[in-house]
Amino acid sequence: MRRRVGLGAIQQQKLAAEKYKDKGTDLQESQLEQMTKQMEVFRVKLEEFAMKHKEDIRKNSQFRKQFQEMCAAIGVDPLATGKGFWSVLGMGDFYYELGVQVVEACLAANHKTGGLMELDELRRRLIAARGQSAVHQEITNEDILMAAKKLSIFGNGFVVHKLGKGKYIVQSIPGELSMEETNILTAASNTEQGFVTQKQLMRDLGWTEYRSKQSLDKVLGEGLCWIDMQANDEPSYWFPSLFPGRTAQNSTG
Amino acid sequence: MTDFEWPWEYTFPPFFTLQPHEETRQQQLKVWSDLFLKYLKHSNKFTLNINEQDLPLFHNESLKRRLPPEFVLTILEHLQRSGHAAPLDKRRQEWQVYWYTLDEYGNMVYEWVQETGQVNSVCTIYEIAKGENTTQCQFHGVDEAVLVNALRLLEEKGKCELIELDDSHGVKFF
Repeated sequence: MRRRVGLGAIQQQKLAAEKYKDKGTDLQESQLEQMTKQMEVFRVKLEEFAMKHKEDIRKNSQFRKQFQEMCAAIGVDPLATGKGFWSVLGMGDFYYELGVQVVEACLAANHKTGGLMELDELRRRLIAARGQSAVHQEITNEDILMAAKKLSIFGNGFVVHKLGKGKYIVQSIPGELSMEETNILTAASNTEQGFVTQKQLMRDLGWTEYRSKQSLDKVLGEGLCWIDMQANDEPSYWFPSLFPGRTAQNSTG
Repeated sequence: MTDFEWPWEYTFPPFFTLQPHEETRQQQLKVWSDLFLKYLKHSNKFTLNINEQDLPLFHNESLKRRLPPEFVLTILEHLQRSGHAAPLDKRRQEWQVYWYTLDEYGNMVYEWVQETGQVNSVCTIYEIAKGENTTQCQFHGVDEAVLVNALRLLEEKGKCELIELDDSHGVKFF
């Protein structure tokens, strides 16, 4: 067969391409329409769901956690919107309230903890602070994390640090914790009593003597830890926020 | 004597090392000061020698931590600033510690005198500190030397006059 050449053939090809394009746009449009419809239905259903289970979400921590996970999966942040249909949930209020309480609890203990508090302790304090009337409003660590993370928009005065293995520590004094400091905290939180020494850092983190000393001096200089000069061989650096004896006696006495 | 309830800090090893960080140190001194007063009140003591190394207050045996004498001195000087302690000798080894400040003691005694209508009458020091009439008062059982110091302060305000008796004091209130 002869190859098709010439103006006619080019025009024909062009025409075909245009037709394909038109069809493609059509398809896209109908798909978008369908998607929009689906989303609308989904939104209505979610709203219905939220309305129906409002009380459950507010009061049942397990339920709330699952609802949060669901929202996270579809990319919705119930906290980001105080207005709109999410406000019917009062989810925002729940976390705003919790956020304020987190700040209160942390600031009240700042002089004792040096501005660092373990998440578990924070939770205990919050539950105690919320009192009898809120007994049914159980709060989980996830709730506190959610509320505390929102507080970071106020600047670096309030930060949540992950110390590995599901351990978190909430920092309630201004100032960034450097990588070094976070590493030291992690090392300390892995000990029973919550302290580190220079040798321990050199051994566990592979740091040089100089680096260990510098970092420890910095942590001490910021008032995050206490130094003990009466230990056997070398000074040890203690974090009141990680010292188990502090809360053990509080709960009994 | 019932068991003394130690604060959690007493089991925190670095509590026995004076902290270099300013804010931490202030907090530490405050806790120690409170602990000193509580401990002395509990054991009914009014004087402290900074070298009493075996006193549980200065030595947590199970923790193997000691409060060094120079640290004790720092705490006592902190107490002195708030009117809760005064050195008894020039070398600042022996200290008188007040559970209440001398001012507070003076006011408490003066209130008691007014309530019981003893203005313009003479009391003995023993009567005020150990007498049957004051058993309900917070100043009951106070060290007599401390009481005399408190009354001297009251005397300066013109509220009483101390009278020298044979080997003790009497006091007349106005």
